[in-house]
Amino acid sequence: MTFLQPWVLFALPLVGLPLIIHLINQRRFQTVPWAAMMFLLSARALSRGYSQLRHWLIMLLRMLAVAAVILAVGRPLARGWLALAGGGRPDSAIVVLDRSPSMQARDPAGGESKLDTGRRQLVESLRTLGPGRVMLATDAGRGPVEVPSPEAITELATAGPVAAATDLPGLLQSAYEFIRENGAGTTEIWICSDQRANDWRPDDGAWGGIRDAFAKLPQQVRFQLLSFPAPAVGNVGVRVGGVRLETVGRDRQLVVTVSVSRLEEGPRLTLPLTFEISGVTSAVDIELSGREAVLKNHVIPLERTAATPGFGTVSIPADADPADNEFFFAYDEPAPRRSLVLADDPAARRVLELVAGIAPEKDAVATVDVLAAGGLAAAAWGDAAVLLWQAALPEGPAADTVRAFVDRGGQVIFFPPDVPTSAAFAGVSWGAWTTHAAAVAPESWRTDQDLLANTLAGGALPLGELEVKRSCAVAGDAVPLASLPGAATLVARSSEVEGVTFCATTPAPRDSSLASEGIVLYALVQRAIDRGRSVLGAGRQLDAGSAAVAVAQANPAWTRIAGPTAGGSTEAGLHAGVFRAGDRLFAVNRPLAEDVAAAVGDDRVDGLFRGLGFSRISGRAGAADSIVQETWRAFLIAMLLALIGEGLLSLPRQTVAAVTPAGFRQAEAAA
Amino acid sequence: MLTDRQPRSFLDPQVLARLSAVPLLARRPMVGSVSGRHASPHRGSSVEFAEYRKYVPGDDLRRLDWRAFGRSDRHYVKEYEADTNLRLCLVLDTSGSMNFGPGAMTKIDFARRICGALSYLASQQGDAVGISCVADGIVRTLPPRRSPAHLRLVFDLLDEVRPAGPTRLPEVLHEFAETIRQRAVVVIVSDLFADPAALASAFSHLRFRRHDVAAFHLLDPQEIAFQFQRPTRFLDMEGGAAIFADPIDISDRYHRAVEAYLADMKKIVLESAVDYHRVLTDEPYEQAVARFLVGRAAGRGLR
Repeated sequence: MTFLQPWVLFALPLVGLPLIIHLINQRRFQTVPWAAMMFLLSARALSRGYSQLRHWLIMLLRMLAVAAVILAVGRPLARGWLALAGGGRPDSAIVVLDRSPSMQARDPAGGESKLDTGRRQLVESLRTLGPGRVMLATDAGRGPVEVPSPEAITELATAGPVAAATDLPGLLQSAYEFIRENGAGTTEIWICSDQRANDWRPDDGAWGGIRDAFAKLPQQVRFQLLSFPAPAVGNVGVRVGGVRLETVGRDRQLVVTVSVSRLEEGPRLTLPLTFEISGVTSAVDIELSGREAVLKNHVIPLERTAATPGFGTVSIPADADPADNEFFFAYDEPAPRRSLVLADDPAARRVLELVAGIAPEKDAVATVDVLAAGGLAAAAWGDAAVLLWQAALPEGPAADTVRAFVDRGGQVIFFPPDVPTSAAFAGVSWGAWTTHAAAVAPESWRTDQDLLANTLAGGALPLGELEVKRSCAVAGDAVPLASLPGAATLVARSSEVEGVTFCATTPAPRDSSLASEGIVLYALVQRAIDRGRSVLGAGRQLDAGSAAVAVAQANPAWTRIAGPTAGGSTEAGLHAGVFRAGDRLFAVNRPLAEDVAAAVGDDRVDGLFRGLGFSRISGRAGAADSIVQETWRAFLIAMLLALIGEGLLSLPRQTVAAVTPAGFRQAEAAA
Repeated sequence: MLTDRQPRSFLDPQVLARLSAVPLLARRPMVGSVSGRHASPHRGSSVEFAEYRKYVPGDDLRRLDWRAFGRSDRHYVKEYEADTNLRLCLVLDTSGSMNFGPGAMTKIDFARRICGALSYLASQQGDAVGISCVADGIVRTLPPRRSPAHLRLVFDLLDEVRPAGPTRLPEVLHEFAETIRQRAVVVIVSDLFADPAALASAFSHLRFRRHDVAAFHLLDPQEIAFQFQRPTRFLDMEGGAAIFADPIDISDRYHRAVEAYLADMKKIVLESAVDYHRVLTDEPYEQAVARFLVGRAAGRGLR
């Protein structure tokens, strides 16, 4: 139970007042000589148990009445139906809002979204609690921002829904830093979220640090989670897996791969997919029977004169979560398949030239520029998609050049040099070579994502058929994508810099069968080329979030040309839509994880706050009740009821008329 | 005719004068030693015809009814009712509880007045008056006598008696029934704080001995009302253990106990044919005595 005036509770010992008065009254007895003792003895013998019970009930009700008055004066608060937390009025409250697309799910009746319900309930709660300061944390980078009043939480654009995932650990870290730096007193951190795994990232190592940091704070910090874990019933999301512009003869067409998915299996659905490109609408049905259905390579003819770059949307009918019913895409003329190869070993260089130079499409042209170690500056970095590097890791100006290439979206695959150096790139360096007594095959590799993922048809790449005779150790902060027996890394990507991949062996025949079993190397390189090309065209897909924010900030002329108008310039990159920056188009959409992430279990969430003051209130989208309410009226009613009960029990028993003196005389007269 | 000139607090000449208008009669035939105004079980020489009886040798020839002989040619003797005096035995409860009376008058004061009035009235009409003061036994007793000097002794005893000790009224009444040799009017003046079943047995015993039993049941209004506002320690006036109680808690059950007791008493006195008078001590004793006398006068003729 929380009280707005907790100091009043010091008066609770007054509950014993009726008992003390009773005891004093017992001592103030009178002594009377009495003749009719036989009636007194009979009276004491008659139903003494009930009399005692009544007596104690009266005492209890009096004590309850006093307690109810004291508690009512203390202005008690009830949180949720049963979730009661300790403490009084906090000095400050930090509201951490999960604004991710899944929070826009509405209740089945089509009322408020989870985010709107949460914000409204938070405003009502904060208005009741009346903390000294109210802070709103929606951006981990900026930290909590003070708002003038709780009502601002529903009014501010920065508290509205976005298309990006929420970095809950980051927001809590920023809240911690704010408390530490500002020396805030008693603080309540209100988290409003639907507990989606991609927002909470329960496996993130940062949680341990956050927990320890809050536990060490001298101030009292309480966490209140207003949780909406229930999934949106019957919700289906639409997503464009790929889009490319093709020219067939003199005609042009758009080839789009679209998927529809839902979190839980449900009845078979036929969904109309509506495409809108340059004001022209077309529709196609898609059958959804399991969790996901994919419409592959759907061809949409374009006018011959259609301008590039262009953009479009694909949408499905409205359902429980409107945030995933529309997906934006941008397209442009296909970017050139230009690759840069720098290899010390001629055998390796030849293989790399081949795998990079053969385009997967029939009529496509792939260009490979072979670089010399000293000719980096002269290379055509601007339209290259991938850099294949089989040499000592770059240092100095060369490293800067490669880093700039990576930063603008280019992909790099490093192969080990014959003589590894101590140089490091993106936090990774080469170790020593290991020559295997017998050729070994990769033991495990990531089939769900990244460069070695399964094919679109679902088949795995034949990594198990590779033979690795020699491998070089990968040292540093890298995420393994394929491993050899003994936990040695075969393929890894840098965890510091996106787009940097390390392959621990070379395609030279003396080192591995990457060349002879060319499928794996071809897929690896071509996928890297595709990734690199995706940032080269004038039409580019971006996930809302930090990547899109970086792009938006790098392009001052970031202008929305399609999609719902929401958010200010400070939140560019967080909202879905199609944006123009110069002559380039960017389609920003929710990240893939938003469509597949399930809710983190309550036990898991409790574990994240282990050792901290934490309580969870389960909410429901569209719920009309408030989560924090002053309940002093209930206590006053309880007091009244207690007093009425006490009065009824204290009423003298109905006196038998015949034994009053008057009744006695009447009876005698009648006789 | 007062032979005692000493003023008695319990006698009011005006009240006595008013009460003298109604005779004190017995409800049953009495066996007296002298002629009086009460019916006797024997035939006598009063003016009230009783019956015809066949003449037997030895009967007084003056009592032969010659008219009956003329009509039936048989000898009949005409018999008349006999009138005699009675013995009034007053049983005065002098246990400690009779000293109760938070008002102007205690129960013993009230009882003195009743006993004084009845003694005087009985003596006036030539009846023998005796009194027994009882508590846990017969404390003092004066056997019934007719003489006016004896009346003074009765008044002296009423003056001197002080209530004390516990009550053993049923046992005392049993003892009393055994010790009174002749039929008498037994008037019990008491608060009757005893087990009703035991009292019923005692009353039946007295009735079996052909006594005309009457009872003045004295109750104080406070004993009925039981109105106290504070927790109270009740001291037993008959020496028993004190009881601590909150009257607010206990009053309803007290009243139920009183009601049950009075109902039992009513039933007992009906079954035992006791001339029962329930009296509150705040009413004039004259009314109680008058009610007693009038009730008996209305029932005259029973033999």
